[in-house]
Formats: sequence, C-alpha cells, structure tokens
Amino acid sequence: MAEDLILELKGITKIFPGVKALDNVQFQLRRGEVHALMGENGAGKSTFIKTITGVHQPEEGHIYFNGQEVSFKGTKDAQELGIAAVYQHPTSYPELTVTENIFIGHEIIKSGMIQWKEMNAEAQKLLDRLHANFKVTDEVGALTIAQQQMVEIAKALSTNAQIILLDEPTAALTANESQELYRIVDELHEAGVSVIFISHRMEDMYRLAQRVTVFRDSQYIGTYDVDGITEPELIKYMVGREITDMYPKPDVKIGEPIFELKGLSRTGYFKDVSLTVHAGEIVGLTGLVGAGRTETMEAVCGITKADAGKIILEGKELNVRKPKDAMKAGIILLPEDRQKQGLIMNWGLGVNVILPIQDELSNNGFINDKKEREISKQYLEDVDTKAVSIFDPASSLSGGNQQKVVVAKALAQKNMKLVIMDEPTKGVDVGAKAEIYAIMGELAQQGYGIILVSSEMAEVLGMSDRIYVMCKGRVTGCLDVADASQEKILELAMEQSDKEVQ
Amino acid sequence: MAGKSGRTIAATRESGLKDKLFSWEGALILVLIAVNILGATLSPNYNVTNILRESPRYLAEIFMLFGMAFILVLGDIDISVGSIVCLTATVGCLVSNAGHGVGLVILACLGVGLICGMVNGFVATRFTELPTMIITLGTQIVFRGIAEVALGSGGSASMTNLQSVAPLRAKLGPLPLSFFIVLVAAVIFIIVLNKTTFGRKLYAIGSNKTTAYYTGIEVQQIRFFSFSLIGFLAGLCGLFLLASTYGANTTTGNGFEMEVIAMCVFGGIATTGGKGNIIGGFIAAFIIVCLRIAFGQINMNTQLILVIIGVMLIVSVLIPSISTAFKKPKKKTS
Repeated sequence: MAEDLILELKGITKIFPGVKALDNVQFQLRRGEVHALMGENGAGKSTFIKTITGVHQPEEGHIYFNGQEVSFKGTKDAQELGIAAVYQHPTSYPELTVTENIFIGHEIIKSGMIQWKEMNAEAQKLLDRLHANFKVTDEVGALTIAQQQMVEIAKALSTNAQIILLDEPTAALTANESQELYRIVDELHEAGVSVIFISHRMEDMYRLAQRVTVFRDSQYIGTYDVDGITEPELIKYMVGREITDMYPKPDVKIGEPIFELKGLSRTGYFKDVSLTVHAGEIVGLTGLVGAGRTETMEAVCGITKADAGKIILEGKELNVRKPKDAMKAGIILLPEDRQKQGLIMNWGLGVNVILPIQDELSNNGFINDKKEREISKQYLEDVDTKAVSIFDPASSLSGGNQQKVVVAKALAQKNMKLVIMDEPTKGVDVGAKAEIYAIMGELAQQGYGIILVSSEMAEVLGMSDRIYVMCKGRVTGCLDVADASQEKILELAMEQSDKEVQ
Repeated sequence: MAGKSGRTIAATRESGLKDKLFSWEGALILVLIAVNILGATLSPNYNVTNILRESPRYLAEIFMLFGMAFILVLGDIDISVGSIVCLTATVGCLVSNAGHGVGLVILACLGVGLICGMVNGFVATRFTELPTMIITLGTQIVFRGIAEVALGSGGSASMTNLQSVAPLRAKLGPLPLSFFIVLVAAVIFIIVLNKTTFGRKLYAIGSNKTTAYYTGIEVQQIRFFSFSLIGFLAGLCGLFLLASTYGANTTTGNGFEMEVIAMCVFGGIATTGGKGNIIGGFIAAFIIVCLRIAFGQINMNTQLILVIIGVMLIVSVLIPSISTAFKKPKKKTS
C-alpha cells in the first residue's frame, strides 16, 4: 500500500436489535489529514464514530491502526492508541476547573500527591497552544460551549492523541466561535494530528477538510477529494436524489400587514423592537447568538412578558400574558428546542400533534379518541412525516422528522395567522431541510405571515422576503432580500457594540 | 403539501386481551388475590365481616391516594398530608367539643384541609424553583406544629360529644359510609385521569413541563389545583379518622404521607412524573390494607409488617427496570 494510513476500517457491520446501523462500511484515514464524515441523520455516522472510539463493538469487520489489526473491547483500548473524541455538547465536569478536566483520569502524581503546579503549567501550555482566552483555574461550567470544546481538545492533546474525532463541533457555536474552531483545527492539522469530523455544514467541510466520506442509510457511499466535488454533487450522494432547489421560495403576492411590533421591550433582554409582517410574507430575523431574537419572540408568544410596547395582530392590540393568549389569537411558535420545548419525546406523535387543540376536539372535556386520531394522522401525513404509526414515540424519529411533527402541531391549530419558526432546521439534515423550506413556502402561499428566526445566513437569505437584523437586544436594520448580502447582515449584526440594552 | 410522498401513517393499533392481562394492573390483581388467600390461611378470623369492621381507618387513608396520584403524575410530591390529617382531626375535635354539630365539624375539617393544600400550592407555584419535597417538608412541620399548639400540653384531645360525628359512622348494610366515598371517588378520579383532557394535561406536565407550558397548558394553575385538592382530601381523611377514633393527638396521621406514596408507587405511578395509573394505585392500596389486616389479626409485630411492606415496595419498583433490561432495546434512529 502506498498510502500512509493511520486508521483503516473494513467491512464494518453493526447490528442493533431490528436495525442494521452500519452495513459493511469502510473508511480510510491518512496520517495528518482532516477528513469530513457526512450524511443525513440516521445514516450511521454516530454509530461509526462510536465504533472507532470503542463504545460499540461491531459484529463484523476489521480495524487497522498503523497497519496493525486491532480490536476495541471498550473506550479505554481506543484511548490507549491515541484516539480521542470531542462531542457537540462537551461531556466535561462543569464544577471542576479547566486543569482538573484536562487531567481527569491521568493526573500527574508524584509520591501519591497530585502535582497541581505542574498540572496547571501543563494545562496552560495546552491552552496557549490553542490561543485560549480563559484561565486554567476557571470552572468549566462557567465557560461558553466553544471554550468547553477547547478544554476537550486540550484534554485530547494532553493524552497525546493522534486521532481526534469532532462530532458536530460547530453546531452549537456562533459564527465567530466557528472561525476560532477552524483555526484550532488548522493548528492540529499542522501539528500532524489526524482529524475526523462530522458536520451538517457544507462550509465547515470546504473550509477544513481535504477529503470527505459520505454515508447513506447505514452504507458507505464513497470518499472524495474536497477540491474535486461540488455542493450539489455531495448533497446528491448524501440524500440519494438530486435537490434542484434548496430554497423553493414560491412567488407569493404580499398582502396587507397582519402583524406588528411597536417598541417591544423587556429589560435586560431586548429594547424597542419594532417590526412588521405582511400576509404571505416570510420575514427573516437574524443576528448573532444572544442578540435577543428568541427572547423577543418568546415575549410575543407569552412565554415571558414584555415590559413595554405593543403587539398588534390584524390591527388589534393583543394583551399577551401567557402562551394560551397568543395561541388563541393565532400566533403559533415553533420553539427553538424541539426536544425540550416542542415535543413530549416519550409520547406518541399523534398526541403530540393534538395536544394544543385537545380541548377543542373533546366532548365537554372528555377525550375524543377517534377525532384525535383522524386529525393527527391527517396533519402528520400533510407534512410527510416519515413514521409508521401515530403511536410511534417522538424520540424514535430523526431531527428533521421531529421538526415536521412540530410543524404538524402548529398546523393543527386552525386559527393560525402568524407562524414563528425559531431555528427550524437546527440539527436537521439536508434532505429534511429542503422539505421544511418547502412547507414554509407553502404556508406563505396560503397567506400566513411567517417569522423565520435563524442564525444560518444561507437559509435567511434563501427564504426571506425581508430580513430584520438584531444586535444586543435592538433591531439594527431591515433589509429587502434583493439588497441583502451576507456582508451587510453581518455588519448590522455586529455594529454599535458600545450600545447595550438598558 | 409539497413533496408529498403519499405515505400513510397508521392510526390504529392492536391491543389485545394479552396486553391487559400482562399489564402491571393485571399483576396487581393476582397479588391481591394471593394476599387474600394468604390472609385466609394464616388467620381464622380473616373474613369479610372482620375486614369491614377494621377497614374505616384504612379507607380514610385511601381518600388521599387519589390526590397523591395527581401530584405524583405532575412530577411533584406532597409529604405534608399526614400533618394536614392531624391538624384537621384536631380542629374538628375542638369544634365538636365546643358544642357544634356535625355540619360545622365537617366544614371545619374540609376547610382546614383545603386551606393547608392551598398554602402548599401557593408556595409551590410562586417559587417554582423550590422542590416540592422541601416545601412540603416545611409545611409538614408547620401544620403539625399548629396542631400541637392547639392540642395543648396534654398533646391529645378526646371527643366529648360523640353525637356530632355519628352521621359519619353510618353504615349501609355492612358497609361503612367511607367505603362508598372511596368507591365513588375512585370512579371519578380514574375517569378524570384517563378519559379527560384535564387528565392528559397532568401527564403532559409530568412528562415535560416546558413543552406543556409552550403548548398553552396552564401549568401553575393545575399544580395549584392539585395541591389544594390533596389538602381537601387530607381534610376528608382527618374527618373520618376523627369519626372512627373519637379524638386526635400529636401522632395522628403520622406516616400517612409515606403510606399513601407507597400505595401509588406500588401501583405503578412513577415519582418522576408522567407515568402510572390510579387503577394500579387503587388495587395496591387494597393489597396493603388486606396485608395489614391479616398480619394484624395474627398479632404480628407492627414494625415487622412495615418491613414486609417496605420490601414489597422496593421489589415492585425494581420489577419494571429488571423486565426492561431483559426486553430487546428499541430501534434507534439518530
């Protein structure tokens, strides 16, 4: 073999009861390369990563490390060979310091005593190498997600890891933090560490990786040079079909204004937010994470209460004191966190869908089982949920399909006038993303007003008619999509850094 | 809708007799039968007449089971009910001794219970960050403290005017009044929890408070209502306890909260919220009551009875986790 492979997997098959999670897949990692692993949710990426880190033992197949066949009976075996994983949500100990987290399990001990000074110095060296701007004595729980990831990477480096796996590292990061992560990966690359990373973001892959391996439906599709592959090609490999138009924005005649905010404020969260939504219009609301977008929308929907300002729907001022008020008026929120705010994960899909309207469907408070089944079935089919039965628990679906259930739950509320979608495609794979955009387009066509809260620039630019940008709790600008560009949005998102919410 | 694949989603499911028989409730019924056979074998006095004669004290306790089921399904807990029972029985006794009739005694007991429950509910819904275990631990001490102050230095009160609770001791044939109250309450509460949208809201809150709130469910109002309800039921318990013991003292209602929680848990209601059913708790209550009566009749040491019930409780909680460990893990898509 001519190639210098640090890790090779051949014919890996992993079977969970009733499902083949990996079906005869292969993978080759060159020494010192950055290798992206892509595929839709459920394609088997996570199971594959867990096979490399020794969490799962495959039923069939061979793993070669530096040309030698190895078998991992547990995570410890993989760690000893220098394979370390960093997850999207770091699994560190929040109450412990950075040093303690880095050295947990392999503390520097001399004559039975932990050498704090030495460990702190070592940890500092690692942080310096990563250009971290926090202290080794900081509690990890007080750090941002990005910084916690850095701690995890430092921990991997402290064990002299030769292969670092990053599982969706940028999913929880802001744009700036992602840049920081890119820099760190570049440095790892220069230092000769081999990196495997999973991401749904095309830009991550183009920016970082030399090669990309695609999985689909538990199978290996192929490995490609990043330089030689276009985005549509890659999407086709991942989804198995061509997506001609990622953002199917239909031509909709924009109608009368249906929704208006006038000077909405909540002390410490957002100030003087004014915006307008017309019938059939998709209004993008963007900004950096922490700009106050979600907080504003939560006040509109009665999750929290605004201190000042007006919420106007169809010309009438609403007094929104609790979620029910907003829902009754026809303002429906698709919350940011599907699993914690949108769905009851261990409940069936059907009950989840009709939960907001169960009282209306009931016979004087008694559950109307038949009607509930019919209606939930209808709406779940309308959004084309990939499920076998309305009794399937929500937790059994992929992220994209969970989001569709949340959409079905909103649609079932017949009086809906304004839909607020907060990060509707977060953690959703590319195929389901396109479907959610299609649904969004159709809702606009049917004359609903839509507010799309999103950090993803491409989606905001692709779907919106107008784009409001928020920064530090204030609306800093409103762009017509024809005039908008990524640069203009970023400029608005980051300007007037000296003004804060009073 | 766009991209509709014409996929259909099933809206029916098969549920056979088999599911019913192998359910937790089915198992509990078998245990109840076994306990009765055991009782009949151990004690020559274990018969219907004697069970009925001894039952009022236990029946009163079962009133609270229904409220506790609500509270546990919500994911909350109330450990102050034993003290509420003590306080209501005390107040009821003092009202009676002051020469008032049955109407005022009933009103006093139920009113005091309701107020106590509302206090719990108020604190729990105003200070949502506090665990209800701690809140009701606090009120447990407060309510019993008030009762002790009312009882004075002797620490007990005896009824001087037995006539004032006579109607509560009424019987229809061989069956005490409280038996019918339990029966009616059981039917109502089982229907509410299983068949109404209100019942489903309780499960929704217990399963995921945040989603329930975002979905427009009045989470705090429902919690306040449930705490008030169990307070009211504790008052009812105190009333009937007073009627069967003709008095109250500082130990009245001691440990009732744990017994009631034990009945619920034994019946399959999870203390983590969102799971379980009153039917199970109801059967479990009768299992525990029959056991106590049977063991009591053969003069078994009270402490030993508690040990046996404790062991049963732990086993019952373990069984589901053992059986899921043996079941095939479900298909996962991630």
